[in-house]
Amino acid sequence: MLRDVRLARGRLLLVVLALGVSVAAVLTMLSAYTVLVREVPRNYNGTNPASAQLEMDNPIDADLLAQIARQPNIAAVELAATTTARVEVAPGKWLPMRLFVVPDFKKLRINTLGREAGSWPPLPGTLLIERSALALSGSAVGQSLTVDFRRSGRHRVELSGVVHDPGLAPARQEQVLYGYATPQTLAQFGEQVPLDLLKIVVASGTTDTDAIERTARALSLWLQNRGVQVHEVRIPPPMQHPHQSQMDTVLLMLFIFSLLVLLLGGVLTATTIGGLLSQQVRQIAIMKSIGASRPQLAVLYLGLVGALAGVAILIALPLGVVSGRALISTVAELLNLRIGSSALPWQLYAATIVLGFAVPLAAALAPILAATRITVQAAMQDRHVSRSTLRATWMHRWHNTAALRDPALTLALRNLLRRRTRFILTMLLLAGAGAIFLTSMNLRAAWEQNVTQAAGDRKFDLELQLEAALPADYLLGLIGSVAAVQRVEAWSITPAALAGDGGLSVSRRYPDGGHGSFALRAAPADTTLVARAMLAGRWLGRDENGAAVINSQALFTVFPGVKVGSTITLKIEQRPRTFKVVGIVRDVLAPGAVYVTPAAFAVATGAEGTVNAVRIALVDKAQVPPGVAAVTAVLAGAGIGVKATLTDKSIAAAQGAHIYILVWSLGSIAAAMAVVGLLGLVSSLGNSVLERTREFGVMRSLGASSGAVVRSVLYEGLLTGFASVLAALPAAALPSAVVGAMLASVSNQDLSLQLAPQAAVLWLAGVLAAVLTVSYFPAMRSARLTIKQTLDWEHA
Amino acid sequence: MFHIHTNNKEPKMKSNQRTLIGMENVGRDYLSGPSRFAALSSVSIEICAGECVAVVGKSGSGKTTLINLLTGIDSPSTGTIYVAGHPVHSMSQNSLTAWRGRNVGVIFQFFQLLPTLTVAENVMLPMDFCATFERTQRRPRAMALLHQLGIADQADKLPADLSGGQQQRAAIARALANDPPILVADEPTGNLDSATADDVMSLLAALAREGKTVIIVTHERDFARFFTRTITLCDGVVTGDVATLRAQV
Repeated sequence: MLRDVRLARGRLLLVVLALGVSVAAVLTMLSAYTVLVREVPRNYNGTNPASAQLEMDNPIDADLLAQIARQPNIAAVELAATTTARVEVAPGKWLPMRLFVVPDFKKLRINTLGREAGSWPPLPGTLLIERSALALSGSAVGQSLTVDFRRSGRHRVELSGVVHDPGLAPARQEQVLYGYATPQTLAQFGEQVPLDLLKIVVASGTTDTDAIERTARALSLWLQNRGVQVHEVRIPPPMQHPHQSQMDTVLLMLFIFSLLVLLLGGVLTATTIGGLLSQQVRQIAIMKSIGASRPQLAVLYLGLVGALAGVAILIALPLGVVSGRALISTVAELLNLRIGSSALPWQLYAATIVLGFAVPLAAALAPILAATRITVQAAMQDRHVSRSTLRATWMHRWHNTAALRDPALTLALRNLLRRRTRFILTMLLLAGAGAIFLTSMNLRAAWEQNVTQAAGDRKFDLELQLEAALPADYLLGLIGSVAAVQRVEAWSITPAALAGDGGLSVSRRYPDGGHGSFALRAAPADTTLVARAMLAGRWLGRDENGAAVINSQALFTVFPGVKVGSTITLKIEQRPRTFKVVGIVRDVLAPGAVYVTPAAFAVATGAEGTVNAVRIALVDKAQVPPGVAAVTAVLAGAGIGVKATLTDKSIAAAQGAHIYILVWSLGSIAAAMAVVGLLGLVSSLGNSVLERTREFGVMRSLGASSGAVVRSVLYEGLLTGFASVLAALPAAALPSAVVGAMLASVSNQDLSLQLAPQAAVLWLAGVLAAVLTVSYFPAMRSARLTIKQTLDWEHA
Repeated sequence: MFHIHTNNKEPKMKSNQRTLIGMENVGRDYLSGPSRFAALSSVSIEICAGECVAVVGKSGSGKTTLINLLTGIDSPSTGTIYVAGHPVHSMSQNSLTAWRGRNVGVIFQFFQLLPTLTVAENVMLPMDFCATFERTQRRPRAMALLHQLGIADQADKLPADLSGGQQQRAAIARALANDPPILVADEPTGNLDSATADDVMSLLAALAREGKTVIIVTHERDFARFFTRTITLCDGVVTGDVATLRAQV
């Protein structure tokens, strides 16, 4: 046996490598899953997130706050506020900033912050910034930012420190900066921000949304009885990071795929051991003829597989731990987490070792039992081929009529058919990798199709949200006078919430203000700046009151089950407003919105004839930044404050970042599978070259050139690679649909399956290039053999 | 009834016979562990066109080495080998491959038919590799050869479905595919029963009568009636080279 192992060391080394990569992939995903499932809640829950935030009409005094703290089921209570501003992150380039107002940083107990660098608490007159926003701000601790406050305009404000807020999605993903300041600092810059947000943590039922809502409603009623009106209760999914569901889904999916990689590694083991056994048929017969029993032989070969698996596991454990830490680090960065400990429980190592042994042993059992079942007589007569091997195959019939021109191609094709099982398994190994690669690319294509569709539906290049509403005629005239502007429309916006029982609106909004929110928007009936792609019903009629069109995102997140003709009641400016849904409009990758006519918007908000947001189409679509600069300069000149500037680029960046982690992870799994698949191909070709050694000698004796021998081996690899690509194309359909549906669910988007033809071409080119590379060496080795060596090999 | 006559004189070439193969002082050594083993030593032979030569000797006497050198499958350690004017001893592997495909038909003891090709495809293979016939002519020629050898009805079967004798006939047909002037057979009857072996030897002898130069390695002296000449090897040295009067078989 040891001699056999030495003779087949090259192929067995490939098995060890493939199993090592497979087991390492499983350990990578298991460790990432284990650590992240532990660390994400630890990060998020470690901040003691508010169970609910109650938005009040006025701040409350300390006495009332103390009374609330004594209310039933209230574990903690604090006052806070949020406001928005703009920050100049580069000359002329502004990004929105969400400012969290903290009365006393030292007494912060709810939604706590981790200190990263600089001052804590912030020095008077300075801001703290969230760590993920620091790079986006283009600034550093000790430097000053130009902040355009809502009311008091622009000021230079120093950044005195950096904090970590695990409850927020990374700033890069949201394209929003997060800052923290005391009310005194803001007042110093002329911004008076009332502490109108009451944050509570419930004592029991911390993970029960209904229980939290009951407590919040009771508290709202209690406050109302004391003259404090609560407009909105925000209850984000309890104890769940904003991206928790996406992360859980992605990690589960990656774990499943990693098991698939291990399965493929097991298949490769079975293929290689099968190849080894087929060459040892006569040895097996000899051993049987001198008294070896079938169980003895089976144990011998299973022992070999176990030894290979053992070596592979030894390689895989450190490799998996290192790559697992790399994956954890990447996900942590994408989710804005701080990993406290990457320690793995011993049970995880044990599970990896058990899987590492069990899968290859189980896969190799069938070929080993089959090989040891053969009788001595049958083994002695074994020629690796019989009429029945080929007669029934459609390829053989096809070949007889197709008359392939190159005999090397004929021989390669026939050799694949001679070892059909090995060919199919090797092909499936590569096809599996291809299917996952294509899945990741199809998903990317589907997402990009949404992004493209969103860009296509947006006929405007720029949206400006203003600090204050202005007379429509004045504002539209002012912006319309800018030479770079082709068309401007009024699209006023105001936050909205679903009106609940007793007029109290309850939303699922996170503190970042983005996740779980939606808005009411005034939409011109004759707009040309959106495509108005109706999924159902119709667009708004001119001056139509009481009618609303909801967009697809709002349908997913806020109004599931609502149809054209349904009635919805929203809380706008603290008052309930009822609308009849007349249409559902496709609004891909946009925030949730309910569109009403400007007239209806005026009635709902009481802002008759004014506008607080505009959408602008520029003359030159290729020159957006200069266009934005020209418009904002005119507004600044007129003393008009801009709260947010949204361009096509910033919207696309925020949209694309959400898909990045999934595509990246799937690409990594595809790479691991490709490695296993190519190792399988190398092993398969190595077996084939050994088996065909005599054939090469005979070919040379009949006048075949070295080139013909090389071509014959290369054709075998290329045919396998080409077949794998053909198999991968349909095989990618199911995972694309399943993973697409999962992604659509977690992203609340309608993600229709897209095929990425360029990915198929890329995969084909990659596979064929890799196949040529891995086939080249066995091909050249076989070409270098002399006829005498090949014939001697047969007789050895 | 066969009539066999032998004499023990050194063979004299007829003046009108053309020397096709000339080996001059040929030796072949192999490394065997730390020492060298001489498979052939100072062998000098001339073979004329149309001869049917038997190379006989005990196992390990150097028979297979001799024909491997003649066909360019192996290279000599010393000496020169000319076949139809070609210096086989100094040709490159690629040149030898092309030359062999057109000039030498090799028949192996274990038939060495490619198991994944049908019998007809096996016969067509040398024509495919050497492009000696137009593509459209290759299948008809293969069928004609198989018909000549009496196994045309087996043309579309795989070698595994044929008897040993049929496989050897197929191997002979394959060796004849490019119509080479020389046929070399290494123990062609080693795996056949006596009746089939007689058939195969008759075939080869008939081919020699038709003008092919046939060189056959055998250890069975019963076949002497088929040969015009018998070369005996012992421990790598030619110990006998006698002309035989071939029976009209």
